[in-house]
Amino acid sequence: MDIVPQLIANSIIAGSIYTILALGFNLIFSTAKFIDMGYGVLTAVCGYGVFFLSSKLGFSLAFSIPVALLVSGLVSFSAYKLIYRPLRARKASGAILLIASLGVLFFLQAILAIIFTSQFQGLSSILTSNQTLELWGGTMTELQVITTGIALVLSLIVLIFLKGSRFGKAIIAISDDEEVSKIIGIDTDNLIGIVFFIGGIIGGLGGILIGLDTGIEPTMGLPWFLSAASAAIIGGIGNVYAGIAGAFFLAFVENFGIWKVAGEWRLTIVFVVLLVFLTWRPQGMFPR
Amino acid sequence: MEYLIHLGVLVSIYAILALSLNLVMGYTGIISLTHAAFFGFGAYTTAILSTRTNLNFFVTVLVGMLLTSVLSLLIGRVLSKFRGDFVALGSVAFNVIVWSILINGGDFTRGPLGIPGIPRPEIFGFSFSSNSSFLILAIACLLLVFFAARFIERSSFGRVLKAIREDEEALQVFGYRVVHYKLAVFVIGACMAAVAGSLYASYITFVDPSTFTVTESIFMISIIILGGLASNKGAVIGAVVLTLLPEALRFVGFPADIAAQTRQAVYGLMLILLMLYRPQGFVGEYKL
Amino acid sequence: MEPDAQGNGSSVAKTAIWLVILVLIVGGLIVYGNKGKEKKEEVVKEPIKIGVILPLTGDAASYGEGARNVYQIAADEINVAGGVSGRMLEFIIEDSKCNGKDATSAAQKLVNVDKVQVILGGFCSGESIAATPVAAEAKVTLFSPGSSSPDLTGISPYFFRNYPSDASQGKALADTAIAKGWKKVALIQEQTDYALGVYKAFAEAFEGAGGVIVKEETSTANSDFRSQLTKLKAAKADALFVDTQTPAMSERIFKQIQDLKWSPAIIINDATAGDVKVISTYKTLLEGALTAEFSADPNNAQFAKLTADYKTKFGAELPFQAYGQTEYDAVYMIKAAIEAVGYNGEKIAAWSRTVIDWKGASGSVTIGTNGDRVGGHTVEVVKGGKIEKYQ
Repeated sequence: MDIVPQLIANSIIAGSIYTILALGFNLIFSTAKFIDMGYGVLTAVCGYGVFFLSSKLGFSLAFSIPVALLVSGLVSFSAYKLIYRPLRARKASGAILLIASLGVLFFLQAILAIIFTSQFQGLSSILTSNQTLELWGGTMTELQVITTGIALVLSLIVLIFLKGSRFGKAIIAISDDEEVSKIIGIDTDNLIGIVFFIGGIIGGLGGILIGLDTGIEPTMGLPWFLSAASAAIIGGIGNVYAGIAGAFFLAFVENFGIWKVAGEWRLTIVFVVLLVFLTWRPQGMFPR
Repeated sequence: MEYLIHLGVLVSIYAILALSLNLVMGYTGIISLTHAAFFGFGAYTTAILSTRTNLNFFVTVLVGMLLTSVLSLLIGRVLSKFRGDFVALGSVAFNVIVWSILINGGDFTRGPLGIPGIPRPEIFGFSFSSNSSFLILAIACLLLVFFAARFIERSSFGRVLKAIREDEEALQVFGYRVVHYKLAVFVIGACMAAVAGSLYASYITFVDPSTFTVTESIFMISIIILGGLASNKGAVIGAVVLTLLPEALRFVGFPADIAAQTRQAVYGLMLILLMLYRPQGFVGEYKL
Repeated sequence: MEPDAQGNGSSVAKTAIWLVILVLIVGGLIVYGNKGKEKKEEVVKEPIKIGVILPLTGDAASYGEGARNVYQIAADEINVAGGVSGRMLEFIIEDSKCNGKDATSAAQKLVNVDKVQVILGGFCSGESIAATPVAAEAKVTLFSPGSSSPDLTGISPYFFRNYPSDASQGKALADTAIAKGWKKVALIQEQTDYALGVYKAFAEAFEGAGGVIVKEETSTANSDFRSQLTKLKAAKADALFVDTQTPAMSERIFKQIQDLKWSPAIIINDATAGDVKVISTYKTLLEGALTAEFSADPNNAQFAKLTADYKTKFGAELPFQAYGQTEYDAVYMIKAAIEAVGYNGEKIAAWSRTVIDWKGASGSVTIGTNGDRVGGHTVEVVKGGKIEKYQ
């Protein structure tokens, strides 16, 4: 039996999730200019939000998903308002912001564990139907196909929004040079706040899709953050197209690496790829 | 009393780790999240050599330092090529890779089973089998490391390091090979961490990969952030406080359900508040 | 003071103030904590203190939470029924994070500060291995209801366990697989001491009889097994052995097997077989699946009571049933031990070697001279979402 079609399908599934998560990471990193380790925990915040609303309180998915996304956006926004903004205002270095974001990661993770216990929760039972589809010799579930669709549509929306709207252009200006943007009258503080809000929603969306597919636990934040950051760096920080390319490249290397090397070395494979890019191509896959 | 001696040993081991990481972070300004890997490398060297050969503990310490210096030279060489905060991400990658090697090491490292039955040190017929004699050994090592760190800090080498931290470009203009200086202190720090690892392995008499994860590296960073960067005194104070704090919390009549997770939350909150209000720590002289 | 501390008195003073505040806080906590205890002691007879070592934070916290709840159920039952020789049981629970360092810290504290004579734990084998020397030194009994590493067999006269070593399970499964005529087994193993122990015992017996094993290992933090399963599927083996540490992990793997439209013959270990919910959720996939447990008899009255009580008390299914039953028994065994020989670590350890056919939620318990639970695993089969004896 030829396993390549299935491996391709597996890579597409993983790549779609990476795309979504890398998108949020990219937006936050390129405007706020620091590595936000707390970003990953938003997947858990939003995943548990949906779990609580739909499994515990019995609300429909159509209600719980938007509410959970809003919560995750607000959590991200408040982290910015309360912690990152004051730090940035006094020109704290990236290292200080990074350590503060580690604090956010630990804090939120522990709060989730206190409220919901550390037990693993599968969200897949919430879905009423999740057929498996056969595609060119590989199989994918409906949800996985939808996830891929969401990843691509979301990237497109973000792209149009960045290029087309005044607001998007202001964000690009900030990522090019924050000082100059301030001088020409852009309200950088508020804009970065909005970016954190949007980033929170995107990270949360990733969390819901992960939860529906493979399940959630409070400690999921750090591993997913590392995948998202690796995908964004491999593609090239600050570039949405490149983020998609990086995400799928990473997913393919990972899944084919499992085939050709061995499954237990998967993390090593991912991180060696990351180190190779950081060393020889810090600008990512595409020339600047 | 036995309990206090035990805590004394742990505090000494963590103080060595903090002093060594402080050399790296405090005097070069880079965030290294690989330190637990060096700690583990030293611990595993002692564990493997002393359970399978007749080598004396003190010989295994030297072998551990030697192997760790080679490893850290390689890792440091790669990390020195990264720009800005990506060093932090790259160092996470290295920690995960070393951890993967420990857990996938097959019969050599015994993977997740860990290595039990590590003997206590012996020299000239005297065995450090009682905890009180081990405490003396640990404190002796701590003093040695403390004075080594102080010597480095006050030597001309240390003054160049401080100058690099303040203004790297200026030093380059003066013809200093900045990379070599940073690399040297990185290797020295790693070797000290390996000593702590050897002590740890023979004190606990058991090692397994779960002790040497990124979380442990983050814990070490918290120690020196709390104590204060670039201060040897601060590193020791930080180690005392953060090693004893969870032990002190054992005595509070908290309900067991939430005590442990509350500690994690407090820990996260502490990092955030320190970054916001006292980024130089208790007695530090340098802010990241 | 060091000359480079900027020399100004204020920084030294500040440090001193911070240290004083710290000492006050720590001291205050200790005094406060002790006060709370003293009050309780005044009430009736002094309670019997049992030390507990559990992973309450970190990756293994989910086990620790379940275990703590089960211990509490058992202790509440005992205390409501009049306690042990008229004295109440009181747990002193310490977090050991599933690692050796915190387990030794916890054991040191329990042994030297609380002066307990019996410690329940550790849960992870690494915890028990590291805590055993501390307990043995102080002549305190260490009683683990969860550690299954073969490294613990005969480790110390002060250690015993009512959870069997992994070795017997792997062998029982391999023997049945050989009897079924299976030549090639695909195996996915979680990278934990327990799952590795089961694999080793299985491989020794199965490969010894000429069988072939195709193995994939996966880390506990992993949640995407699709490509590893794809590889195993392509190996065209006679059966797939899902060798995990937790039912949650198996649940994810089962779901992804279904997503791949694969329906192999399946072997599961007792960590998964003990979880009624997972078995019934995936009953189509698991129809005919082989497993080996040392008990988990749903008809056992004590076990049925435990699962029911757990549900009413904590509003959730008993999470890890294979462990739940031994944890529940452990508390009652300690009660039996104290009633038989008194509250003395040395005597309890000696008593443990005399346990023969002790009836509990996990069936009949016999402890061998090496401190291990005697008795092999019996092979079972999944039929219609329920577990039955294999014929």
